[in-house]
Amino acid sequence: MSFLSLVGVEWKKIRRSKIFLILLLAAVILWIPSILNAGLNFGMQAEGISPENSFFIQGFMAMAWFLYPASMVVITVLQTQTERSSHGILKMLVLPVSTAKLCMAKFVVLAVFSVIQYLMSIGMYYISIVIVSHAQNYNFFLPPLFVFREIGRMWASSIPMLAFFQLLAVCIQTPVFSVGFGLASIVPSVLVINTKVWFAYPMAYPFFVITSEYGKLAANIETAQVRLVPWLPTAALITVVCLLISCFCFGQAERR
Amino acid sequence: MSFALEYKKVKRTGLLPAFLGGGIFAALVPVLNMAFRSEMYTRMNASPVSILLGANWQMMSMLNILLIVVGACIMYHIEYADNAIQKICTLPDRESTMFFGKTAVLITVSILLLVMESVSVFGCSVYWFGQSAELYMELLKNFWFFLLFMLPAVLLSLLTASLCRNMWISLGIGVVCVFAATMIPAQNFVLTLFPFALPFQMSGNLSDNVIRNYAIACAAETVLISLLEVLILKVRRWFE
Repeated sequence: MSFLSLVGVEWKKIRRSKIFLILLLAAVILWIPSILNAGLNFGMQAEGISPENSFFIQGFMAMAWFLYPASMVVITVLQTQTERSSHGILKMLVLPVSTAKLCMAKFVVLAVFSVIQYLMSIGMYYISIVIVSHAQNYNFFLPPLFVFREIGRMWASSIPMLAFFQLLAVCIQTPVFSVGFGLASIVPSVLVINTKVWFAYPMAYPFFVITSEYGKLAANIETAQVRLVPWLPTAALITVVCLLISCFCFGQAERR
Repeated sequence: MSFALEYKKVKRTGLLPAFLGGGIFAALVPVLNMAFRSEMYTRMNASPVSILLGANWQMMSMLNILLIVVGACIMYHIEYADNAIQKICTLPDRESTMFFGKTAVLITVSILLLVMESVSVFGCSVYWFGQSAELYMELLKNFWFFLLFMLPAVLLSLLTASLCRNMWISLGIGVVCVFAATMIPAQNFVLTLFPFALPFQMSGNLSDNVIRNYAIACAAETVLISLLEVLILKVRRWFE
C-alpha cells in the first residue's frame, strides 16, 4: 500500500466525525471579539502599528496561544478514539502494512487538519475585514501574499508541536492523561516565550513567531526576535525524536 | 449510593491522579513565580493573598477549567465507549441520578484541586510575606468564592459531555468555550456570567455588592443547568 493511499484511508475514517463543524465554530468565535472591539485598533497607533496590522496580529495571536494548539489536541483525540472504538486498531494491525507508516499517515492527516484550521481562520479573517471596514469606515485590508506568508511561517513553526501531541496520543494509553497533559502543556507557553529557553518548548513556537512579528510591525514595541541558530536544530531534533518514538510505540499496547 | 458507584467507575480512568497531578502543577505556578520574581511582588502594597492571586490566578484557573472539561469528557466517555450507557438506561433508576452522581464526583475532585492551590498560596504568603491574622480568613473566603464560581462550569461541561456520544465533540466544544471565556473582558458583568468565564473571576477586585450578585447568578445558573439536563434526558428518552 502506498503511503498516499494510507493517508487517504486515514482521511476517510474521520470523514463523518463532524470535526469540521467544531473547527468552523472555533474560527467564527475567534473573530467575533475582534470584530466587536475593532475600534480599539485605532488606539494602537500610539504603539506605532497601523490599525489593519493590529487587527491581523491580535486575532492570530489569540489563535496561536490557545485555540490552535488546543484544537490540535482535540484532533489527536479524534484520531485515537475512532481507532479504538470497536477495536478498529486491531483490524489495522493485521494488515500487511508497517505500523510506522500508519503512524506517519496519521501525522500527515493531523498536519492537514492544522492547515485546514489556518485556512478557515484566514477565510474568517477576510470576512471580518469586510464587516469591520464597513463598520469603521477604514480600509483594514491586507494583501493576501503578506497574510499567507505570515501564517505559513506560523504553521511551519507549529510542526514540532504537532509531533509532540502525536507522541502524547500514541504513547499514553489513558485518554485523561494524554489529553490533560496536552492541554496543560499549552498554558505555560505565555510564560515560556519570555524566557531564554523558549526554543526548547514546542508548544510556544507559533505564539513566539507571531509575537516577534508583532514587535516587527509595531515600531514602539520590542519583542524577542526569532534566531534560527539554537531554534532550528532543536525544533528538528524534537520533531524527529517525537515521531520516531511514536512510530515505535504505535500499536504496541494492542499487540501485547 | 450513586456517588460511590460513579467513583468506582472512574477509578481506573486515572481521573484522580490526573487531578492530583494538575493540582500540583497549578500549585507550583505561584511558587515558581515567587521564586523567580519575588522582589517585584513583595514591594507591592496589597494583601499577600490578593497579590499572589492577581499574579497567578489566570493561569491556575485556566488549568482548573481545562481539567474540569477533560474530566467531564472522560466520565461520559466511559459510558459511551462500549455502550455501557444502554445498560444504565435499563436499570430501574433515573438517568439524571447518574448525572448528579458524576457531578458530585467532579465537584469533589475539583475541591481537591482548590485545596492544593489554597495550600500553595498559603505557603507562599507565609514564606515571602510573613504570617498575619487576616490570612486565614481571606484565604477561606477566596476558597468558597472559587468553589461557588466553579459549579456552573462543572455542570455545563458535564451537560455537553452527556449529550455527545463522541469524546472529541464534547472536548472540542469545551475547548472552544474555554477559549471564548478567555476573550471575555473581566469588567463586563453580563458577559462574565458565561459559566466558563466565571472561574477566571477574582473576589479581590470586586465590591461586596457585586460578589453577592455573582453568588446569586452562580446559584441560579447551577439550578438552571441541572433542570435543563433533567429535561434534555427526559426528551431524549422519548426519541430513542
